[in-house]
Amino acid sequence: MSELVLAPWRRAPGASLRLYLGFARLAFLKYLAYRLRYYTGVVSYTIFVTGNAYLFRALFASRPETAGGVEIGGFTLPEMITYIAVSWIGRSFMFNNIDRTLAHQIQQGEIAMQLIKPFHVQTVTMFEAAGEAGFRLLLFTLPIMIVVVPLFDIGGPPRAALYGWTLLSFLLGMVINCQLNFLVGCLAFYLKNIDGVIRAKAITLDFLAGVLVPFSFFPGWVQTLAAWLPFQGLSYVPVMIYLGKRAGPDLASALLVQAAWAIGLFLAGRLLWARAVRSVTLQGG
Amino acid sequence: MAPLITVDRLTKDYRLTVRREGVKGGIVDLVRPRKRILRAVDEVSFTIDPGEMVGYIGANGAGKSTTIKVLTGILTPTSGEVRVGGLVPYRQRQSYTRHIGVVFGQRTQLWWDLAVVESFRLLQRIFEVPEDRYRSQMAFFAELLGIDEFLNQPVRKLSLGQRMRCDLAAALVHEPRVLFLDEPTIGLDVVAKENVRGFLRRARDTLGVTVILTTHDLGDIEQLCRRVIIIDHGKVLYDGLLEDLRRGPGHRLRLCLDLAEPVTAAALAAATRDLPVQWESDGAHRHCALFSRAETTAAAILSRVLAAHRLRDMALTEPAIEDVVRRIYREGLQPGQEANLE
Ligand SMILES: Nc1ncnc2c1ncn2[C@@H]1O[C@H](COP(=O)(O)OP(=O)(O)OP(=O)(O)O)[C@@H](O)[C@H]1O
Ligand SMILES: [Mg+2]
Repeated sequence: MSELVLAPWRRAPGASLRLYLGFARLAFLKYLAYRLRYYTGVVSYTIFVTGNAYLFRALFASRPETAGGVEIGGFTLPEMITYIAVSWIGRSFMFNNIDRTLAHQIQQGEIAMQLIKPFHVQTVTMFEAAGEAGFRLLLFTLPIMIVVVPLFDIGGPPRAALYGWTLLSFLLGMVINCQLNFLVGCLAFYLKNIDGVIRAKAITLDFLAGVLVPFSFFPGWVQTLAAWLPFQGLSYVPVMIYLGKRAGPDLASALLVQAAWAIGLFLAGRLLWARAVRSVTLQGG
Repeated sequence: MAPLITVDRLTKDYRLTVRREGVKGGIVDLVRPRKRILRAVDEVSFTIDPGEMVGYIGANGAGKSTTIKVLTGILTPTSGEVRVGGLVPYRQRQSYTRHIGVVFGQRTQLWWDLAVVESFRLLQRIFEVPEDRYRSQMAFFAELLGIDEFLNQPVRKLSLGQRMRCDLAAALVHEPRVLFLDEPTIGLDVVAKENVRGFLRRARDTLGVTVILTTHDLGDIEQLCRRVIIIDHGKVLYDGLLEDLRRGPGHRLRLCLDLAEPVTAAALAAATRDLPVQWESDGAHRHCALFSRAETTAAAILSRVLAAHRLRDMALTEPAIEDVVRRIYREGLQPGQEANLE
């Protein structure tokens, strides 16, 4: 039995926060160095929005005129175009590659280099994602807004207070997205071919988040399904808040459900991570 | 002295999926995957005292890295126990990793995109190194490793040797009590290896750190470690002083003779018929006798040979540690070579 004892060591909570914020800062700086890559992204996002907007214009134009103007799935054409623009703007902010990066680190065994350091890997990952999101907000999402908003004459929400609630909702959506990506990345501990899973997730996500089309265009069962899944919190919920389609108690419960998913998925990630690290072996020398 | 590191019947299994051949095999694999257990570390036990620098060696695939990964808390053992300074690495990871330094020669623990100095600043924050300690450590590394020359370069632009020096410094910046080095000299040139060894010697002497070192370069071991643990197929083969290994009775000296006239090996074998000697010939003039100190002496061999032949020159060589170890990797321990740790 060892007699010489290494003292148990714990970081003070304040120091923890400072350390993790440091990771956010470094991620921000790292993406700042690669900012040129994002200029082409501004163009492609604008093209996505334009393409979708014309699609919906054509769809609305094909409907016979009624007394109250054309409405599909509860949306007027201007609402629909706003929906498309705001959801893509939101996506430009919250998208990240945590899943891919983490899966790669796990497959290559690089994750071992993180396990030998006194910090919590999941927390570091989240703060790095926050740093990336900060970068995206300033140097990617903002330029996209500057192009897209005047181009399609996107109006503000019906009430000014909704700006704040929308922002909060997008933030919660970003947290949910991070947790989902972290969980998918962790699957690399168990699956040989994780790339297929990641690709499938990316496609499912855009669809189930409601980035492409609002759920009210789909049959009732799809709406019910979406309501029970975390994905709508990424896009559908914040955009509906922006459009003023979630008011009063609906607004509060929408935000609470998002927060619950964010926390629940974080805890699930924590569990999966702890389990995987304990039971799984890593590759490499 | 109470040991700092205790490894008690440590066993680590890997589960492998064995693929069957062909299309049919592939389909069968999907339904009923074939698993095989590979025992990488098999009931390994040892203890290490504070301040020791121990060489942990073995052939490729012997289980060295696996042991190091358990000791550093990366892997959880299948069975057995590991304690370092009273902590269980894989259970108290955060607390534990504050006290250890790790170098895996094949990888870097620095941040690929950051400049070296930023990586060190980040490590300072991760390990909560006070500013004055940080400065004196960095001065130490600058003096002994010369890392101040490339502090502002991004890690991805460093050469292997520069990167390894940075990784060594990174493993020590928080003044850990224990240092785990898995092939810290891999891929380095002769001079760089010398530098790393010199640095490790100084680190041990001035920082008093306890070190476990794996390597395939026995020069590292000869220059740094009094004690070696040899493992083979996951089992401890030898745990003792390097010196005993070399002087052990199973190991043979080589007496090489240059003779004035051509002689056949058979004639020499006949002359030393009564001695346990094995002859190797290199041309008609040069012959070497291999013998064990425990069984005979150089003098006995010489007197037999000189009775019949004229000698021009001779040399007696100790077995090189490489030869000793190569033979152990290949044939296992010789009788009388069992671990004899004090
Ligand atoms: N992640 C893994 N999954 C499955 N088997 C593994 C894994 N890592 C190592 N092994 C196997 O375990 C055994 C021991 O490997 P280990 O890496 O510990 O050897 P080593 O002594 O470090 O070898 P080397 O000198 O080549 O680095 C080998 O047979 C190896 O193939
Ligand atoms: Mg190895």
